[in-house]
Amino acid sequence: MRWGMVVEMKRCIGCNACVLACKAEHFLPPDIFWRRVLVSESGEYPMVTKHIYSVACNHCAEAKCVEVCPTGATQQREDGIVWIDEDKCVGCRYCVMACPYQVRTYYSDGDKEYFPGQGLTDFEKIGRILYPHQTGVVEKCNFCIERIDAGLERGLKPGVDRDATPACVIACPTSALHFGDLDDPYSEVSVLIKEKKGKRFHAEYGTEPSTYYID
Amino acid sequence: MIQTRPYEFMVKYTPQREWIVRRGILLWLAFFFIELGAGMFFVSSFFNNLWGLFIGWLICAVLGGGTHLLYLGHPLRFWRIFISSGWKTSWISRGLYFVAFFLVLGVVHMGLLLWATPATPLLVVVDIFAFLVIIYGGFAMNYVNGIPLWNTALLPILYVVCGIWGGAELMLASVLATGATGLGIAVEEWIRILLLGFIILLAVYLISVRYGSLAGGVSVREIARGRWAPLLWIAVVALGIALPLGVVILSFSAGLAATPVALLYVAILCGLLGDLAMRYLILRCGYYHPIVPSHVYSY
Repeated sequence: MRWGMVVEMKRCIGCNACVLACKAEHFLPPDIFWRRVLVSESGEYPMVTKHIYSVACNHCAEAKCVEVCPTGATQQREDGIVWIDEDKCVGCRYCVMACPYQVRTYYSDGDKEYFPGQGLTDFEKIGRILYPHQTGVVEKCNFCIERIDAGLERGLKPGVDRDATPACVIACPTSALHFGDLDDPYSEVSVLIKEKKGKRFHAEYGTEPSTYYID
Repeated sequence: MIQTRPYEFMVKYTPQREWIVRRGILLWLAFFFIELGAGMFFVSSFFNNLWGLFIGWLICAVLGGGTHLLYLGHPLRFWRIFISSGWKTSWISRGLYFVAFFLVLGVVHMGLLLWATPATPLLVVVDIFAFLVIIYGGFAMNYVNGIPLWNTALLPILYVVCGIWGGAELMLASVLATGATGLGIAVEEWIRILLLGFIILLAVYLISVRYGSLAGGVSVREIARGRWAPLLWIAVVALGIALPLGVVILSFSAGLAATPVALLYVAILCGLLGDLAMRYLILRCGYYHPIVPSHVYSY
């Protein structure tokens, strides 16, 4: 079993719902993004094409971040999910440097509020209890590891059942994001990758990302 | 904070930040001091100069090690590096081991030199670790394949030459302070060769990166013609290379004893500043390839 994601670029409208769902799910502090929407343009007026990419950690099979971590804080599970044990992280940021996709963020300012000078919102207060974030460590997308594990325990299928699927996927209003088992040839993601010739960012680095992009 | 503007971050060539801005500046100093100290120890060991060994060891341990620890998000957790198996793949982890072994064995060697007969096999081992301390920073950066400016085999070599060159300069400064001209002449020979090697290596490094990849080209253009160009041409080329080169030529033709000591000190200071500036540029201008597929952007 290896969890992976497929992003259908033609369906993505750049609404940032995935970004916000991720922030809400993990109570992410200000300036911390585990998922981003990147927008680029090509061509010249009047023939301009807009490209929208929803990007997050690719959970690479050959993850550079796992290799460079000096303490073993960044780890990879058997199902391919790369996650960070915050208690082990020393904050050297070598993983931030080594990730060619730049999807890791160093969290340094724990005092920052969403509305500076106005105190913490209820969302932030609850977040600090339910999903505390340590300062001085590196953070990134974990494919909503908690949802997957809890769902599997309940006999649910990630990518099929909402409760076991990453928040960004279920929040997408156009169903541009798909999640599932890359090792299962009949899973939705495997079929999409095969039929629409899924591509991965910077395949030349040999990192074997688990996120594919299709037109 | 990493910039989050959707039309720029990783859509265009994006510079690395974490190892140079805010507390990242400490890592720049850490690599400089640790390599400088180890370089001075390395050079001093060839002349059995106890003061040189001690000062080099001290720079490496206090300034290098101290800034390394201060840079970390959780300095008190550094011991975790020792208990993990990260050394198998991580150059930061290996570096910490190299530094630890170097510092411990260095003390033993200095103790033997001071109170007993120094053991040559131990000196060889300490020098190997000093060399590894000098080179590991280059390898740590070289491993980052997303940044073409760093991902070249020339970088560790450049850092080795810089580390030993800086060490030799500091050694010369300490020798001049004690007035040992004979030793100074020997050290100055090292400096001549290393300075020449540095000039050639830096040129080859920048040219090879410039034509090696698009992101590499962006990095080198930023260094040579962009926002940071004054640092290259004034601090690195004029002060760090041209001035020391002039003094080296003067001392080569007129002799070290005939060269004004003040001028030698100025050349040493400028050489170190040039080394520091070059390291800053390499860290500051490390650009990542965009992650989105290749659309053409003007830079």
